[in-house]
Amino acid sequence: MATFTGTVEVLDPIGMHARPAGQIVKLVKEAGVEVVFHYDSAETKANSALRLMAMKVKTGEVITVAVEHYDEAAANAIIAQIQDFLKG
Amino acid sequence: MSNELKGLGVGLTAAVGTVHVVAPAQPLPAWGKSTLGAAAELDRLKTAIAAVTADMDALAANADATTAEIFEAMKMWLEDEGLLEIAQEHLDEGSDAAGAIGQAFNAFADMFVGDDAFEERIADLQDLSRRIQASLAGIKMSLDLPQSGQIVLVGEDFSPADTAQFTPAIVGVVTRAGGPTSHTAIICRARSIAAVVSVADAGNLTDGQSILVDPVGDRVVIGGALSQATKPLEFAETDAAPLIPVRSNIGTAADAHTAAATKANGVGLFRTELLYLSAASQPSVEQQAASYAEVLAAAPAGPIVVRTIDAGSDKPVPFLNMPHEENPSLGVRGFRLIVEHRQFIADQLVSLEAARKQTGREVWVMAPMIATVDEAAEFAALARSLGQFKVGIMIETPAISMQVDRLAGVVDFVSIGTNDLSQYLFAADRMNPALGALLNPWQPGLIRMLAKIGADGAAAGVSVGVCGESASDPAFAVVLAGLGITSVSASPSQVNVVTNALASVTKEQAQAVAAAALAGTDAATAKANVLAALAS
Repeated sequence: MATFTGTVEVLDPIGMHARPAGQIVKLVKEAGVEVVFHYDSAETKANSALRLMAMKVKTGEVITVAVEHYDEAAANAIIAQIQDFLKG
Repeated sequence: MSNELKGLGVGLTAAVGTVHVVAPAQPLPAWGKSTLGAAAELDRLKTAIAAVTADMDALAANADATTAEIFEAMKMWLEDEGLLEIAQEHLDEGSDAAGAIGQAFNAFADMFVGDDAFEERIADLQDLSRRIQASLAGIKMSLDLPQSGQIVLVGEDFSPADTAQFTPAIVGVVTRAGGPTSHTAIICRARSIAAVVSVADAGNLTDGQSILVDPVGDRVVIGGALSQATKPLEFAETDAAPLIPVRSNIGTAADAHTAAATKANGVGLFRTELLYLSAASQPSVEQQAASYAEVLAAAPAGPIVVRTIDAGSDKPVPFLNMPHEENPSLGVRGFRLIVEHRQFIADQLVSLEAARKQTGREVWVMAPMIATVDEAAEFAALARSLGQFKVGIMIETPAISMQVDRLAGVVDFVSIGTNDLSQYLFAADRMNPALGALLNPWQPGLIRMLAKIGADGAAAGVSVGVCGESASDPAFAVVLAGLGITSVSASPSQVNVVTNALASVTKEQAQAVAAAALAGTDAATAKANVLAALAS
């Protein structure tokens, strides 16, 4: 296991709202991995949609995503999918 | 008469049934310290969460797609790890199950406070919190409606979560609050449930009473019989031409097909928002043109009046990135988007021109939310430079209503949106259930303004249509014709009855009916005058 990081930008016009937060948690749980969002000097585990929403990330802001995985390509695919959920 | 309660009727169907009062929810017990221990409390909590999850499933199954999506999100929160961790902490500190989950929900609600994007989610969180606590206390949160019988539901107003539980036994609905455009009214109209809303004295009704719900009479009669129901005006079926053209309101190709099966003379309002509200990125001109061509081809014979995008921050188009506003209905919406999104509106017009050429249909275009003659001129110049359209504007603001004479030579036509014109004329939010009575189209202030617009339009040589809900009421449509309105546009289900009504009167008769409406000094009198004039 290693930690792979990437950045995602919130493009959704409503920011990190209920739908993308729910999609992200579902993805993380299905993948069975640990994902941590780093934003504004805070760390939030991406296993709780309510916690992700409580980060109050606005449109146009960037989050660093850290994925615990043994495979870099798979980790990057998860980050890419998270970016996709945040396109709105 | 003390056994008669006045309100605002919804639809034309009357019904008699037994009153079933939906009382405000029972208060939840106060939180306390656990006497059972943390493990037992956690078990109780899990049981309650499972019960609420099942309730949510049942609600989602009966709800429309949008509401079902909200229930699905709420279900996910019931198993949210962040939420359950906070609840566990409170259990470990000795809270009872209700206190633990209540405090966990409050913790998140507090984090969301002050963020407008989450205001509705706070309400959803608190709803879930109450549901779980109610389940723990053995309090019924669901309406628990009878499955059989003839029930008239009486309450303050009904939310989507409430109407999703309506059973076939519900033959009537009476609400103390809410207006003719409230959620309850829309659902009842769609399901042909007899309804009277804005009944100030609805609190006088008690369980078990037999009542007549008489929407045409705008009243509820305690002990009334169906034979006492006010008859809707019957206009004989006829092939005669109506006094003024009756068009149809549509939003989709499916609506266009439905409208084509009616007597509609073209389309008086094609709402184009649906194409954009769910799109993550702007559809290409080719995609837009193909969508429009499908609608134009299916529309009933006659001109097709297309309204350009009518979005605002309350109805955001995802790819236009609309900033939040304090008062979206008074904000940057409709034609006002041209400042930031001129290319988007131009692309829409280019797409419509392509669809017009492809289908050979007569297309008129109009812009919503116009307040000045300059804005009308700007839209007209843009539209004429991009296609062969008749060009017009919506009349929704009192400001442009006072300048219709100055639109001579600027636009070819105007179309009055009576729903928004009422909202802005009466300074009464369409979304506020307490203000329903002001949004009644029979209000004399609105009728006088319609009379002025009709007269000024005729003098200026600008044709004046009406495409708001009010034109779907056959009696009101006759008033409009008498006020000098030159066409009306109704929802597809109402096109034939409005056409029959307008075919049954002469111009002079319609003018007499309009005079009767203008003579009414309040909404109820104006309507009563008109019904009496039409019956004679």
